[in-house]
Amino acid sequence: MVLSIILLSVAAIFIVAFLYFRINISKAREDENVRLYKRYYVMICDDINSSFWQHVYQGAADAAESMDAYVELFGHGLNEDYSPEELMEMAISSKVDGIMVLGNEEDEMTALIDRSADLGIPVVTMYSDSPSSKRCSFVGVSAFNIGREYGRQIVNARNEKLRIGAGTEDADQDSAEPVAVTIFFDDNNRLYDQSVILSGINDALSREAADAEFLIRTVAVDNSNPFSVEESMRDVFMDEEVPDILVCLSELDTTCAYQAAIDHNMVGNVYILGYYDSEKILNALSRNVLYSTLAVDTSEMGRYCVEALNEYVEMGNTSQYFSTDVTIIDRGNVSSYLNSGGEAYE
Amino acid sequence: MNKKIGSLPLSAKISGIFISANLFIFIVDIMLFLGINSMSVELEGTYLENRHLNELTEALDDVQRAMTEYLDSKSTDSLSDYYISEQRYNELSSGLDKQVTNRAYDRMERNISFMSVDYLEKVARTIEAKRGRNVERYRVQYEEASKLYEYIRSYIRSLNGERFVSNSERYATLSESFRKFEFFAMAVMVVVFIASAFVIIRITRMLIYPLQALARSADEVAGGNLEAELPKSVNNDETGRLTAAFSKMMVSIREYIERLRESMEKERLMQEKELMMETHLKDAQLKYLQAQINPHFLFNTLNAGAQLAMMEGADRTYEYVQTVADFFRYNVRKQDELVSIENEVDLVDNYIRILNVRFSGDIHYDRQTDERLLKVKMPGMILQPIIENAVNHGIREMGDRGHIQLKVYRDEDRVFISVKDNGKGMSREDIDKLLCGEWKYEEKKGDSNGIGMDNVIARLKLFSERDDVIDIVSEGIDKGTEVIINLPLEKENETDTEIKSA
Repeated sequence: MVLSIILLSVAAIFIVAFLYFRINISKAREDENVRLYKRYYVMICDDINSSFWQHVYQGAADAAESMDAYVELFGHGLNEDYSPEELMEMAISSKVDGIMVLGNEEDEMTALIDRSADLGIPVVTMYSDSPSSKRCSFVGVSAFNIGREYGRQIVNARNEKLRIGAGTEDADQDSAEPVAVTIFFDDNNRLYDQSVILSGINDALSREAADAEFLIRTVAVDNSNPFSVEESMRDVFMDEEVPDILVCLSELDTTCAYQAAIDHNMVGNVYILGYYDSEKILNALSRNVLYSTLAVDTSEMGRYCVEALNEYVEMGNTSQYFSTDVTIIDRGNVSSYLNSGGEAYE
Repeated sequence: MNKKIGSLPLSAKISGIFISANLFIFIVDIMLFLGINSMSVELEGTYLENRHLNELTEALDDVQRAMTEYLDSKSTDSLSDYYISEQRYNELSSGLDKQVTNRAYDRMERNISFMSVDYLEKVARTIEAKRGRNVERYRVQYEEASKLYEYIRSYIRSLNGERFVSNSERYATLSESFRKFEFFAMAVMVVVFIASAFVIIRITRMLIYPLQALARSADEVAGGNLEAELPKSVNNDETGRLTAAFSKMMVSIREYIERLRESMEKERLMQEKELMMETHLKDAQLKYLQAQINPHFLFNTLNAGAQLAMMEGADRTYEYVQTVADFFRYNVRKQDELVSIENEVDLVDNYIRILNVRFSGDIHYDRQTDERLLKVKMPGMILQPIIENAVNHGIREMGDRGHIQLKVYRDEDRVFISVKDNGKGMSREDIDKLLCGEWKYEEKKGDSNGIGMDNVIARLKLFSERDDVIDIVSEGIDKGTEVIINLPLEKENETDTEIKSA
């Protein structure tokens, strides 16, 4: 009687404990919720760690979730850094269901896109296009639009500079002087069609300030090795003729430019028109180091990419071009962006 | 169930307890062992994936090496090497997971798997082109294959790293729970040990308890208490049977003792009855003897004889016959009654007179009595047998020299009656024998009264309730014998009243 009670209780303790440990083990085995996906898309860009691409990726991943597809920021888990072209090769070899790639007009990329399309893997170029390739769609910002926005900001900056100058003695003299504008372009010209942006700027300038005179200079930023951007930026500030307005067309350019302005004590003298809405940039904007910045709706871009791919996979066809919105952030509205955690697309 | 267990033999019970306790501990041990075993298997499997990936890398290197060697030398050995390594790599890579999940390493596995297929195809094409001596083509293919080889290697390396990180976390979790399990196992062992010890103690006590109760009862019985409380037998095992047997034995002993007592009682009654019967028989014998000679007839006859003697003028004959008549009357009447010393002395006088007639006055008889003591009570027929004894054994053969002296005197509160002769005397041994009642007469003399000394001594002892009521003194052979009776004096008053009432 006593024996059986003790036996039962010990057995019960044992079973409970055993179950507890089993559960512990199985928890250790499957520590996360594994979800299976039907499709596997990859996103290939030049700088995985930039917050711009992170945001684009986030937008794409969120959109893909509802389509039973998984988007991977390709090359993220790899120990070595690979160029977009190499990553393209890997993706093709891995037979993914779709590729989103930061396109360019070079032959190598075009050939890779073509090869991928031939193998039945649809490719969507994003942000910058490979127009002559067999990509199924392009999601990006119209370079002309961007140019026009920058043009407007250049005019605004000039007007402000004039207003400040009006308070000083040589106001008239200043108004007559042409405004020096320097535009930084990526060396390899990958991001945008340079000429399209320039024509956009020119278009805006001729519309908004037809009477004013602008000295527009383009500087090719050396992007060939890791730290060359910063060096090119310093060169500009070391020049005798420091431009009145600086236009930066990438996140890194913008960061380097405002840092150089601070270091050379040129804040207030140089109007920097930045690009992108990272927290750093927004902070600089709120401290008046930058004049304004141009933000692309990154989340929307990502979503468009996935949608385009999915549509192509399912329907066999999709729209050739998706345009993403562009927003100007300046001192007037920067606080709202800062409060929302620096996410411009919200 | 309990009854069933109760009826099992003791050895089976004890073995059962120990076997079941051992079995219990054994089962718990087995369970703990299984638990630890499964955990160690789990632990071993933690880095299994890493090992697989390392194998995969080796296989991949082998394929690449074999291909390069073949391209270099075009040897058959390298070709067969290639086939072997290609097959191995194919097997290994086809085992990879091809599912797309939100886990990075799952997707990496998938990519490696697909890239491997692509790579093997390219290698095959390279080899083929080399065989076909298509130099241009195999170089291009080789380039592509090598590139893929690098990608795959890098991928595997990255996956290995990724796996290692996640496996290390898992390993940490596992080893932590392993440690917890160890602690738990220790706790379980301790609990099991205590529990089984407790159970064994309990059950052993339960088994031993009847024995202890039995031992207590046995001790009590050994101490002499036959009425000790008997233990109850609960189980039907050896102890139960032993207890039952003990109880039964005790009951039997009690019954036996009771029976023994009863039979002894019966025997006593029987003896009493026998004694009574003997007495009655004696009584009857006496009555018979008495009836043979009707005393009245005897006395009347003797009286008639006496009167006849008187009428004829034979005075001495008359006196003699009268004395004989008195003697017999007393002899018949007074045997079992208390009489006064005077009666006894008178009887002795008569007896001596008769004897002197019979033996022509040979016996010198001398009497000194304290007249005040003559009323003292004593059993009848005492003195006459003593005198008869003195005459028959003392002075019979002495002729006219025989002398008998009777004295009644007082010393303080006791009355002494002394019968002294100057005859043969007695040895000390004979005196002791006579006093102890061990003396036996060989035969009854024809002219005896029929009452022996032993009877006299026994009756005196019964009467006075003391052993020294009679004493025999003799200074040796031919120095005579003295028989002294001492009686208590208090009886005097009673004697008076009795005589008066009589």
